Amino acid sequence: MLNEEEQMSQALVRIFENVVLTEEKSLQAGYFKDLSIAEMHTLTAIGPYDARTMTKTAEDLGITTGTLTVAIDRLVKKGYVHRERDKRDKRIVRISLTHNGKLACRMNSKFHRVLAKHILAGYDEADRKKLLDLVNEVDVYVEQQLRRYDDSKNVRATASQVANDTTKEKK
Amino acid sequence: MADSGEFREKVKKDVIRIMAETLEISPDEITSDLVFNSDLPFDSLQLYEFVIDVEETYNVRLPDELLDEVKTVEDMVDVVVKLSEKE
Repeated sequence: MLNEEEQMSQALVRIFENVVLTEEKSLQAGYFKDLSIAEMHTLTAIGPYDARTMTKTAEDLGITTGTLTVAIDRLVKKGYVHRERDKRDKRIVRISLTHNGKLACRMNSKFHRVLAKHILAGYDEADRKKLLDLVNEVDVYVEQQLRRYDDSKNVRATASQVANDTTKEKK
Repeated sequence: MADSGEFREKVKKDVIRIMAETLEISPDEITSDLVFNSDLPFDSLQLYEFVIDVEETYNVRLPDELLDEVKTVEDMVDVVVKLSEKE
């Protein structure tokens, strides 16, 4: 019998890996076989509506604009992304989704919604609320740790701080 | 808006035309009372093809949360008319 910490730790890692794996397999079996999971996440970061700047999109994905440029080159070639220079300020590059890009993005959102719907389906209203509250708490806690590393100048010191600090932020 | 009745008719005609093109059926087969889930043979890809075409035609946003409320062809026309008036 695993202790609680081990159960939690294994479940967290397994959930993360299986969500990504299921997403990847559903992509490969579906209509958008030519998209990798990273490319799908890039489309999601751009979103189905307004055009976005390269800088803001790279920031949201946590990658450099150089890395994003390579990804966008490929997505433009595959016909999922439209790229153009700002009409007023030529230094700014704006990216938006083509019709096919919007379609892929919305199908992917649907995949996540269906997954969530099915997870919640087995519970009554009170349990669903409790489950969502707990998931939110885990979400906030993990995000709090991520921010610590983002602002960190010394990874070792941050790791030790993360290991010893048990305070939790509330949403 | 010059005539809201006239605009509504235009939206209805466009919604039915786009739907018929997506499903590759005749527009005559589509009536306002048809229900998306049971009467219209959309798969999820076709449904989003249709939704995105409507969004682009009327420059409106139809996110999933809003689509959850849309049950019939008539509901879709109502939503597009309402959103276009806000624009």
